[in-house]
Amino acid sequence: MREITGRALIKGEAEGEALVIQEISFYGDINPNNGNLVDGRNVKDKILVAYKPRGSTVGSYIIYALKENGFAPKAIIMAKSEPIIIAGCALSNIPLIDNIDINVLKDIKDGDKIIVKGNKIILLDK
Amino acid sequence: MYLTKEEEKMLNGDYGWAVSKALKVIVSIGESLNAEKLINISHAHISGVSYGNIGDPGRKLIKEFADSGVKFSVKTTVNPIGYDTIDYDAIPLTKIDRNYLKGQEDILMSLKKMGANLSLSCTPYYLPEVIDIKEGSSVAWGESNAVVYGNSVLGIKTNREGGPISLMAAITGKTYYYGLHIDENRIPSIRYIIRRPDDYELNEVRIGIIGEIISKAHNDERPPYLDEYISNETIIKELSASLGAAGNIAMIVIKGVTKQKIDENKLKETFTIDYKDIKTREDELMPSKTPDIIYFGCPHANKDEIEKIANQLKEFEKINSQIIITTSREQISKVSKETLSILKEKNVKLIGDTCLIVSPFGYRGLNIATNSYKAYFYLSKKGINVSLISINNLKEVLKL
Repeated sequence: MREITGRALIKGEAEGEALVIQEISFYGDINPNNGNLVDGRNVKDKILVAYKPRGSTVGSYIIYALKENGFAPKAIIMAKSEPIIIAGCALSNIPLIDNIDINVLKDIKDGDKIIVKGNKIILLDK
Repeated sequence: MYLTKEEEKMLNGDYGWAVSKALKVIVSIGESLNAEKLINISHAHISGVSYGNIGDPGRKLIKEFADSGVKFSVKTTVNPIGYDTIDYDAIPLTKIDRNYLKGQEDILMSLKKMGANLSLSCTPYYLPEVIDIKEGSSVAWGESNAVVYGNSVLGIKTNREGGPISLMAAITGKTYYYGLHIDENRIPSIRYIIRRPDDYELNEVRIGIIGEIISKAHNDERPPYLDEYISNETIIKELSASLGAAGNIAMIVIKGVTKQKIDENKLKETFTIDYKDIKTREDELMPSKTPDIIYFGCPHANKDEIEKIANQLKEFEKINSQIIITTSREQISKVSKETLSILKEKNVKLIGDTCLIVSPFGYRGLNIATNSYKAYFYLSKKGINVSLISINNLKEVLKL
């Protein structure tokens, strides 16, 4: 078990499996109607770990739609977030943590069990 | 972040879930940016209202807010959409289907219900209610060209509030105290000078290219200082649009235009733009054959531009290109009857409420000439061949 402290932009608690993606643009990369990423993986109920944000301002709406449609991730962890994603998570009550060293994030692999609690991230498998 | 008692109440839901949710967005973003507090805004301009852009997810969110009964707490204007609300078929070569219309009408109805002025224009700075905003006031604007124009020409203060953030600001009447709302961040430290012969005129195309050059060169948190007096309002509009499109600059201090004293000692660097570099780019982007479409009005054309275009068309019996002008209803209402009849006679499409960039307009291989760098920037991404011409050179292009 390993504990990492970040910055809780949207506070909350969640537990789930990691899904790791390098760069994320919610607009274009994720289908809000089924939660599928362009590479075929699905974000539903996952703890989405993304290194950096990219892309369009429509992203906030996509995050909101994922939540409304029942395909949202349980939480999002990022090295550095930005207003479009923060707005989407705030509207959808999805816990969002950022300010985490990218090298620490790189230790997390798909399927790792993670607990998010406020500004704390607990890696159960590490 | 410090919140007043009133703001705490808003956040805790004393004014309903909509206000609470909207403020949560603003506070969360403010906290991520380490803003110390919130400030009141006196106006909001909402971008991201086109159904083609935000789709059903956006439509749904805006509708939920509207259905809660919440009202905008400040005067609020709205960006253009993908078609003319009076004549759906006004955009050449473009079909607006039923589903699209329905989606867009839903969004507009929701915005209206919350109290928006459906100005449907990317040039809110021409509207009387915006012209009346007191210099130095903070606002929350989401349209990038308007952000640059507002900060640089009107002396009002705004960051680039993209996506739904300007909507949340309209609901709460608040934004985070950050970036260009803080006076110190509005002081430039890099000067840009344009080296050119006296007879090298800076038209709107050249200024758009200058905007591109500055966007690429500028690597400073503070606004650039353009050491060149520009008196023509239309040219400043195109500069604002170009800076907002090619990069993320939200303000430029223009000599003699931006009402702000420049402390020459604080300018730590000078960047020279040589007119030859402007010319090279202009030559690259010049049309080589008759364009299928000639497009003006990005950002929305003002009355003077529309009249200038009409005047140049008078002498032509036959025009081989389809001319399109996009503008706001408000500016159309100011155009003289004589101008309107010339435009009609020459089959010019004067399209209200519309932004071609967010509309379903365009296909690969189409040839368009425009005077707007911003239009060039975005329409090229749709696979359209875009060239640049100044309104002043319209006659030459028509003779190609």
